[in-house]
Amino acid sequence: MTAQNDEDLALSRRVAGGDNAAFAMLVEKYERPLRSFLARTVAPDIADDIAQDAFLKAWRAAAQYDGRARYSTWLTRIAWRCRIDRMRKEREGEPSEEGSCAPAALEIDDMLARLSEGERAALVLCEGHGWTHAEAAELLALPLGTLKSTVARAKAKCRTMWEGAGHG
Amino acid sequence: MADAFDEFLESSLAPAERLPDRRFVTAVQARIIFEDQLVRERRRLLAGLAKQLAALAAVAAAVWVIGSAAPVAQVRAEFPAAGTLLLLLAFGFIVAMFSRSSRPALAPVVAS
Repeated sequence: MTAQNDEDLALSRRVAGGDNAAFAMLVEKYERPLRSFLARTVAPDIADDIAQDAFLKAWRAAAQYDGRARYSTWLTRIAWRCRIDRMRKEREGEPSEEGSCAPAALEIDDMLARLSEGERAALVLCEGHGWTHAEAAELLALPLGTLKSTVARAKAKCRTMWEGAGHG
Repeated sequence: MADAFDEFLESSLAPAERLPDRRFVTAVQARIIFEDQLVRERRRLLAGLAKQLAALAAVAAAVWVIGSAAPVAQVRAEFPAAGTLLLLLAFGFIVAMFSRSSRPALAPVVAS
């Protein structure tokens, strides 16, 4: 167990004991990567709703965090389940074309929009958020080999688009 | 070895460097406070319901005991309407008691 996990485990135990200030510290620490991941994988207008739902569930389940996985991994798993529940309730359309005004962000959003949901999530986690293939495979409920090929396929598609746009 | 595309991909997909979003943190805290209130209110209602059921059982038992006592049974035999009146009075008492004890207690939480 890493020092980071120990610190988060201590905070999580305080949350389980009713300390809401400790939970605010966890929210401050992890809202940025979680919302960034969700903004890349679901429509922007529902990303924050799902993030809030995930934090609420993490607060309720604080006693269940055992420090074996990173807190961010545990939290993202919860968020992913919230996302699946949400998608079941309302059929999601294609992700919005609107996004950041930065040219690089527009380009990456356009590329991600052309990937399947699984490819998008796998690529964002493994290439952008530093997740291991094993962590992403567990989150997406895929065998490790399938996850690796999903990331490679997504990356190859993006490379083709990138080179097609004259960057190659 | 990472080429220009790998660098582009990593920098585009990594979470943007920024300070924590206080508005988001406050919104989550407000939802937690509301959820906390809901849980407490649910517990209070369940405890109240248990008390009311116990009171109802006690009143029913008392009515049954009184109703089966010899003098009352004799009155009931002579005036059958008296038993019905007694039951109606007991029912009215229970309704009045329960309606007085149910009060809305949950106030909405507004995020500042």
